[in-house]
Amino acid sequence: MATTELPLPALPEAHPEQSGGIVDWLTTVDHKKIGLLYIFTAFGIFLAGGILALVVRLELAQPGLQLLSENTYNQVFTMHGTLMIFLFAAQVTTGLGNYLVPLQIGAADVAFPRANAMSYWLYLFGSLIVLSSFFVSGGPAAVAWTAYPPLSTREFFQGSGLDLWIIGLAVVGVAGILGAVNLVTTIFRMRMPGMTMFRLPLFTWGVLVNQLLILFAFPPLTVVFALLFLERNFGAVYFDPTVGGQPILYQHIFWFFGHPEVYIIILPIFGVISEVIPVFSRKPLFGYRAMVFAFFGIAALSFGVWAHHMFATGLVYLPYFSIMSLLIAVPTGIKVFNWIGTMWRGSISLSTAMLMALGFILVFLVGGITGIFLASPPIDFAVNDTYYVVAHFHYIMVGGLLFGMFAGFYFWFPKFTGRLLSERLGQLHFWTFLVGFNLTFFFQFLVGLDGMPRRIADYHIQRWATANLLSTVGAFLTGVSVLVFIWNFLVSIRRGRPAGDDPWEGNSLEWVTSSPPPSHNFHHLPDVHSERPAYDYRHSPAYAATHNPERDPDRG
Amino acid sequence: MQPRRRVPAARWLAVTATVLVAAGCTPQSVTEQGQSIYNLYNLFMYIAAVVFAVVSGLVIWSVVRYRRRGDELPTQTHGNNRLELTWTVIPTVIVLVLFVFTIRAQDKVLDTSGRSGVNVTVTAFQWSYRFAYEGTGAEVVGGPGTIPELVVPVGERVRVKLLSADVVHTFYVPQTLFKRQAIPGTVNQFDLTFDKVGLYHGQCTQFCGLQHTDMVYRVRVVTPGEYQSWLAAASRRGSAGQSGT
Repeated sequence: MATTELPLPALPEAHPEQSGGIVDWLTTVDHKKIGLLYIFTAFGIFLAGGILALVVRLELAQPGLQLLSENTYNQVFTMHGTLMIFLFAAQVTTGLGNYLVPLQIGAADVAFPRANAMSYWLYLFGSLIVLSSFFVSGGPAAVAWTAYPPLSTREFFQGSGLDLWIIGLAVVGVAGILGAVNLVTTIFRMRMPGMTMFRLPLFTWGVLVNQLLILFAFPPLTVVFALLFLERNFGAVYFDPTVGGQPILYQHIFWFFGHPEVYIIILPIFGVISEVIPVFSRKPLFGYRAMVFAFFGIAALSFGVWAHHMFATGLVYLPYFSIMSLLIAVPTGIKVFNWIGTMWRGSISLSTAMLMALGFILVFLVGGITGIFLASPPIDFAVNDTYYVVAHFHYIMVGGLLFGMFAGFYFWFPKFTGRLLSERLGQLHFWTFLVGFNLTFFFQFLVGLDGMPRRIADYHIQRWATANLLSTVGAFLTGVSVLVFIWNFLVSIRRGRPAGDDPWEGNSLEWVTSSPPPSHNFHHLPDVHSERPAYDYRHSPAYAATHNPERDPDRG
Repeated sequence: MQPRRRVPAARWLAVTATVLVAAGCTPQSVTEQGQSIYNLYNLFMYIAAVVFAVVSGLVIWSVVRYRRRGDELPTQTHGNNRLELTWTVIPTVIVLVLFVFTIRAQDKVLDTSGRSGVNVTVTAFQWSYRFAYEGTGAEVVGGPGTIPELVVPVGERVRVKLLSADVVHTFYVPQTLFKRQAIPGTVNQFDLTFDKVGLYHGQCTQFCGLQHTDMVYRVRVVTPGEYQSWLAAASRRGSAGQSGT
């Protein structure tokens, strides 16, 4: 099989090999370095948000206010949600996408490398603006991450912490839109010859649909924040009912962003899982096209379901939002069954990446099934705004996102660094995380069904105490598992086993270049004839000629 | 703190068992309307348990059965249209069935066409509630250190008109399995028909500022006779009437 000789079309910003010093990292326009900057920044924010979560869990471990005042508690859970949803979850996947998409489509960089750098720096500085609210008088916002007016208007929350919150998140929103323009353009315009849309790796598909969702969902968010800011600071009236505003308007616009946000977060993770499972089952992805259509099905439906967050308002047409929400189960189910179809009659090895992917499926299954309950308005009337909802979306966000993210980290760490993460520590990480996570959130379903409201600093009902204590123990075990991961990272980045170019026998193009890839990504590219170019290349005569023939796997 | 380490098989068995037990964890409803929600929830729970068992069973089975045993490459299958159609159609049918039952339950829960025996205007405010009984002078107001009590007769349709004086709150009594947001500038209306005498905990669930945690109340469901004498006494006291601790 022939290989396409580079150079690819020279980019104006084509970057020479860099030293990797501090100046290089601050001025880089290399999508790989920017991707890593995204991942590191997001992970730092994840740790901060995680510490806030542990503070919440400590306070709730037993009835009574032991640790915090009510005001501090309100600030802590508000900032926990803010950091995790806005500044971590949607950003860490953008980081992975930034690093991997150009590699997976055989491009030398993203379409607009400088704009890419700008997206990252806007994200960083937006996040710092949000974090700076910890240091102003009155402290950070205490209005929950949804910031519903009138509670978030000047009358009920005076502190400038909330204004910094709005400004910072608006900046991060702009960064997201800019980044989305960039990645979408990259995927549409920068694919190498032969890389048709239906040969794109599923991760790239996930990122494409995720970034398209950002393009449609972030502008309304930016708008609603602008309205809130004008109302708080310049006497505009949109939401204050005493002078003709409508508080419900905010909820509509917010959730028009807010529900697609869930899929913005989870679609790239579906992509990660769809990369990991075929590789460790040594089979192609089952039902490739159905998986792609399922992405679009989920994306389309996600814009028609926002008001299921508002069933309890009494102001939305319930049957429409109910059926749309229920129907999302269908494309999501297709994904889960196709993953099982991929493993079926495969040859499965349980590396940490694969274990994380399996953990993802099982935990996401619980999150998805409980989501079906919440799509039914009468059941939602019972459990909305209780710990049932908290448990449900943490099964999606912590279970889904984190298991998937760690699967991606274990899978691509060798590509990023040239070294493998320790499998022994990885297994420890997986099991402590699985047990800790379920211990934390499973019992929250039960107290939620029993009526424990979310966002309360204290409770007086004794029968909720056991579940809350177990939940707190689980949260700290989860914290330990994250420390195990950090330890693994620190050890492996220095002393990990060398990975080589293709430690897992991967399917997509990033596995044919070196680990880490050169700054222009590829010295040579194989021809693309299917959705598994690296697999085809490994089974080609050209490969056999340059590699040790004894290690060459059999042809399928 | 000693977290328990369990073997995976036992663990998933335990989880599955707990999922089944969870059905029993929903509080039994004490209202007619809530009973419809309770039944609907149980229907969802049975179907969910089956789906969870089948899917997680398939995942675990394929991992156990198809563990790598040699270097041989498995057959490279790319899909199967008939299978894929099956697992598109079956979930669609399931959600449509769930939707039909949802609509039926919803119509019962939200039905306000019946004649109401008691009409109460509930006004939520930071951080308590005011209960005003329409057509009488009776009014109960909560405040700092005072937990307000909504007194209603058993077996009669109580029509709640829900308002908010400041920010968004909710009216929620866990044992009714029902809640509704109190939104300033909006009047929300719903009916509750209690079928059990008793004292029930109620609490705001929509985060509403500093003392959201303390925004609790009680519902005391009494016999019609007791209700009449309470109402007469409360009407005489008028808005000065406060109850609770």
